[in-house]
Amino acid sequence: MGVGIEVKDLNAWYGANHTLHDITLNIPANQCTALIGPSGCGKSTFVRCLNRMHETTPGAKVTGSVRIGDVDVYNGSSPVEIRRRIGMVFQRPNPFPTMSIYDNVSAGLRLNGFRNRKALDEIVERSLKQAALWDEVKNDLKKKSGASLSGGQQQRLCIARALAVDPEVMLMDEPASALDPVSTSKIEDLIFELKSQYTIVIVTHNMQQAARVAERTGFFLNGRLVEFDSTHKIFTNPSDKRTEDYITGRFG
Amino acid sequence: MSFKNILAPIASIVGVTLIGIVIFLGVYSWPAVKFNGFSFVVKNDWNLGNLYANPVMHRGHLIMPGAQYGILFLIVATLLSTLIAVVLAVPLGVGSAIFLSDGVPAVLRPWLSFFVELLAAVPSVVYGLWGYAAVIPLLSHTVFPWMAKHLAFIPFFAGDTGSGYGLLTSGFVLTLMIVPLITSTMRDALISQPRGLREAALALGATRFETMWSVILPSTRRVLIASSILATGRALGETMAVLMVGGGALNYLPNNIYAPITTMAAFIVSQLDSALEDPTGMAVRSLAEVALVLCVISVIVNGAARLMLYFSGYQRLGGGGWA
Ligand SMILES: Nc1ncnc2c1ncn2[C@@H]1O[C@H](COP(=O)(O)OP(=O)(O)OP(=O)(O)O)[C@@H](O)[C@H]1O
Ligand SMILES: [Mg+2]
Repeated sequence: MGVGIEVKDLNAWYGANHTLHDITLNIPANQCTALIGPSGCGKSTFVRCLNRMHETTPGAKVTGSVRIGDVDVYNGSSPVEIRRRIGMVFQRPNPFPTMSIYDNVSAGLRLNGFRNRKALDEIVERSLKQAALWDEVKNDLKKKSGASLSGGQQQRLCIARALAVDPEVMLMDEPASALDPVSTSKIEDLIFELKSQYTIVIVTHNMQQAARVAERTGFFLNGRLVEFDSTHKIFTNPSDKRTEDYITGRFG
Repeated sequence: MSFKNILAPIASIVGVTLIGIVIFLGVYSWPAVKFNGFSFVVKNDWNLGNLYANPVMHRGHLIMPGAQYGILFLIVATLLSTLIAVVLAVPLGVGSAIFLSDGVPAVLRPWLSFFVELLAAVPSVVYGLWGYAAVIPLLSHTVFPWMAKHLAFIPFFAGDTGSGYGLLTSGFVLTLMIVPLITSTMRDALISQPRGLREAALALGATRFETMWSVILPSTRRVLIASSILATGRALGETMAVLMVGGGALNYLPNNIYAPITTMAAFIVSQLDSALEDPTGMAVRSLAEVALVLCVISVIVNGAARLMLYFSGYQRLGGGGWA
């Protein structure tokens, strides 16, 4: 089951470049939250702060607090522990090219020391089914490499890989931006399915997509969270002039 | 003229030269090949015969009395010293490549990398001299006696540690010469792996080590095999350094890992002078046959490694395990 995320006074830097300014918001459990905003406004940086991926960039720095469920992300837990509880899907599909489809999906579990073959088989099947990829790959699970799939299939493989560890939160940074419309709608269907069980945070440039999948939407601009509200409100009656300009296409 | 039309002749010069050299070696050493027969590669008796007597006819060839040529000891020494060097150099080279690509701050990396490239550029005679003056005293007085005492349970590690000149010393010096080769190619391969791959592993909760070991490193395995092939070739053909630290064994096989050896390449250099004294020319032609055998061994080793490369790329998905 998913858990909520509480972010308080989050600031982030790349070297001297102050990228995120005083972000405070509460992301509800078992819902999909969309983050929108013009390119370079800090959406990726924000989601990467949630699972401590930000600090893997040399020179990067974070202050403020993030709580995921009852875990204080930046206080008293190791980044490795945090990342194991949070699934992440990147803009570009990044399956492990030297591993089979099966090994890709089970990688996270094996990393956690999980060795029971029969249970692994079941989880791999369940995750691939959840990611709507099972029927396409069930015959070459151990024969084909993750890199031999099409781009859309690779992205669903990456989603299956993230789901296999049964994370409490799924972070998706423009998961469909490199994909064709058919694959994109498959992934949107998937998000729809998943959000009853997981807390999903999705970054997107596609406002229709945000409107379709998300209960809540946050609008970022120049490293600040301008507005965070129900998706319906953001798209029909935003309180901030800048949000309105953005969603009506007047800039960005 | 197209690009291809210009490049094709240039490329063929390389190929033709190589084939030309091998054909020359074959033709030149042909009398020796016929005279020595198969025993050339299975016997330990390199003997120029009595150079002060008159040549005699023997099995249809004019030779010096008592001359015979068998180089098993050279083949064994060459293969063993190369094996030692590659076995040591692969983990060392990969380890330092991992360190250079992931373990040092980005500002230091160019300096350390420059240093590694410099090591690769040092002429082998310098390694030989250094081995002779600095390494051998240390090995013969301290390291080898310690090994013979404490590692005696490993086959060929016990026994007389000799003068410090020998198989293991040659292996060490060769290791030092090929590590930079492996390090610099592997470092480039590791650095050029897509960032997304690393992030995928980290985001799953892999530690830095797990990320490197299970994800990044496996995707460079073809480069690893290719650079090991190059390194093996270099070690097989290395002349000066092993000539200086090998100990110059003649006609016997090493009885342990410290024993003196001569490799094929070193032997050709060290024997050329005396072989030229032979008025029948059979000695020089037999040396040419040594070179021919060395070429054949290089080709076989290369071919075997290439087969490995083929199978690693097409048959196996590779890596596969965090475990
Ligand atoms: N690795 C990095 N090193 C230095 N600065 C960076 C790095 N990544 C991002 N930035 C800077 O941080 C700011 C926010 O970038 P971020 O990637 O979070 O934007 P984004 O909202 O995700 O944009 P996009 O929609 O284009 O993906 C940008 O100004 C960018 O230049
Ligand atoms: Mg982004």
